[in-house]
Amino acid sequence: MWSRTFAGLLLGLLISISVVLNLNLLVPIKEDTMLLIGLLCAFPIWAGMQVWAYSFTSAKKAWLKLTLVLTPSVVLNLLLLVLR
Amino acid sequence: MMKRDALKALTNAHAWVGLIISTILFIIFFAGSLSLFREDIISWERDPYFVSSESGASFSIDAVISQVVNDYQVNTHGYFILQMPTDEQPSTNIYFEEKIPAEEQQEHALDKQLDDHIDRHLIISPDGKVLGDGNAFDWGNFLYQLHYNLHIPEVGLYFVGVVTLFFFVALLSGVVIHWRKIIAKFFQYRKDGKKDKLLDAHNLIGVMGLPFHLMYAFSGLVFNLLIVYQISYAVVLYGGDQGKLFKAAGVVDVHLDESNVAIPVQGLDKLLLTAKLSLGQVTIIRMSIDHFGDESASVTFRGDDKSQFSTRKEVTYHIASGRELYLTKNNYDNDIRGGLAVIASLHFGDFAGYSLRMLFFVLGIGTCYIILTGNLMWLQKRANLRSEKQNKLGLQLVKAMTTGGFIGTIFATAVGFICARLLPIDLLDRSDLIGQIFFACLAASLIVSLLIKAQQQFAAIFLKITALALALIPVLDWLMLSQGIVVMFKAGHFDVLIVEVMLLSLALCCWLVSSRLFSSAEAVVNEQPISLNDLAENLIAEGIPSIKVTS
Repeated sequence: MWSRTFAGLLLGLLISISVVLNLNLLVPIKEDTMLLIGLLCAFPIWAGMQVWAYSFTSAKKAWLKLTLVLTPSVVLNLLLLVLR
Repeated sequence: MMKRDALKALTNAHAWVGLIISTILFIIFFAGSLSLFREDIISWERDPYFVSSESGASFSIDAVISQVVNDYQVNTHGYFILQMPTDEQPSTNIYFEEKIPAEEQQEHALDKQLDDHIDRHLIISPDGKVLGDGNAFDWGNFLYQLHYNLHIPEVGLYFVGVVTLFFFVALLSGVVIHWRKIIAKFFQYRKDGKKDKLLDAHNLIGVMGLPFHLMYAFSGLVFNLLIVYQISYAVVLYGGDQGKLFKAAGVVDVHLDESNVAIPVQGLDKLLLTAKLSLGQVTIIRMSIDHFGDESASVTFRGDDKSQFSTRKEVTYHIASGRELYLTKNNYDNDIRGGLAVIASLHFGDFAGYSLRMLFFVLGIGTCYIILTGNLMWLQKRANLRSEKQNKLGLQLVKAMTTGGFIGTIFATAVGFICARLLPIDLLDRSDLIGQIFFACLAASLIVSLLIKAQQQFAAIFLKITALALALIPVLDWLMLSQGIVVMFKAGHFDVLIVEVMLLSLALCCWLVSSRLFSSAEAVVNEQPISLNDLAENLIAEGIPSIKVTS
């Protein structure tokens, strides 16, 4: 259980940060509005990822699946930051 | 459709997460429920001593500040905040830093107390006289701080944030687990169904209060863990420049450099009138001064527009010249500040009077019951295991957490209220002492719970003692301070009554739960005299005689 907890805590946090940053970089709306939207999305994504991590029967699977979600999002982060 | 294995894993995780965070979450929700009436608790503790039937109509900020300057050396580099009098709260509170003279600082340095100032909190009467030291009446704030950081310095805020995150996780996983039955079994409560009673109560309150729980989980996370996203935004989007992020987030810095030219702080009554004209429909609740006593000093008046939902207005003036430095009539004209103000209003339930706060209070105490039923179900499951499969130490620990942690928190709070009423108001470090007594009671409860085997009787008696302690508080109020309370009533201030009703409601809840525990204990004694050793087993045994376990 502890391993799935850490998978959700760490990778869930990174996924929430990454997704929210992508939103900020992609959606062309007012800066303060975007920050608010990011804030509203971030915590539910983090908690949702933690729940998803717990739904796997093994910790290995949880780490793997969450990494598979995180990777493309981070790649998009890097791409958008380079093109910024 | 979710796979069976995934649902099973999630159900196990839901129980595990709930159990791990249960005691801390109980304290957070119990203290938070009481904190909905924080201002009333502060008034309950303080106002019967300083009650006055005068109104604050003739209140002069300039007169108050003259008196403060005569009596104290206000620290120019520190804060100076004045909470304005209102119809509901005619006395005023001033918070500021008092400079410690250099020679005293040296003495303090020897004592390893290196602060260069003392934090002052003065209570001011409606006619502007200093009534006493506000730091002596901090019980309401103690409970509030217990709610948001458990009084753990530095990391307490984040620790509570992480617990809140897992509360959010427990909520979401609970919804997923219960999803197929969420509509069909919406009102299901099988009070005669025995073994499902705890589960039904858990689900019923959980589903009924779901919007409330989600709101609290989310807003609590925003208050306690916002820093995580703040750092990531600052690093990635703003190249490490936190100032730029703050600017985008609507943090206004109306800063004038200190000139080191001293001038008296005067003309604030006139500036207050100007502020009222500038801000329009608003009740000014707070005034703060930067660089007190310096030529560069500025004053900020802040208020909430009660005609709109969660709309803050603020104006800042340079005191010496009266020049307007900043004005906002709509949450700093920034969406994130506006959004945060909405989240704060929802969390504090301060937008619809007492009826809403009472509803939030009931839901908050209901959440405490959800936490309790969650623990009891876990204990029931473990008690049903064959003895070789049971982890005796873990079982005893969970029982102690449930009895000592949950009932201990309510008991320690009752003792805190009693001390807040009984201790002399001029006692040195009065508020600190009450806080220490609270933690001593909680620690003692946990230790006794760990040591006692007959936890069911202990829980029953302990709950009854707690109920009596809670009910004793209104009696003490009227025995000690009836005159002051009557004057408060006549002036239209009912804080004491509100707190007393709240405490008596809690006392009734404790007594009812205890009575049910006690009667179940009797039943068990009659049937199986040696087997009494477990609060949960007997709570459950109330409905399920077959699961009683022999120790």
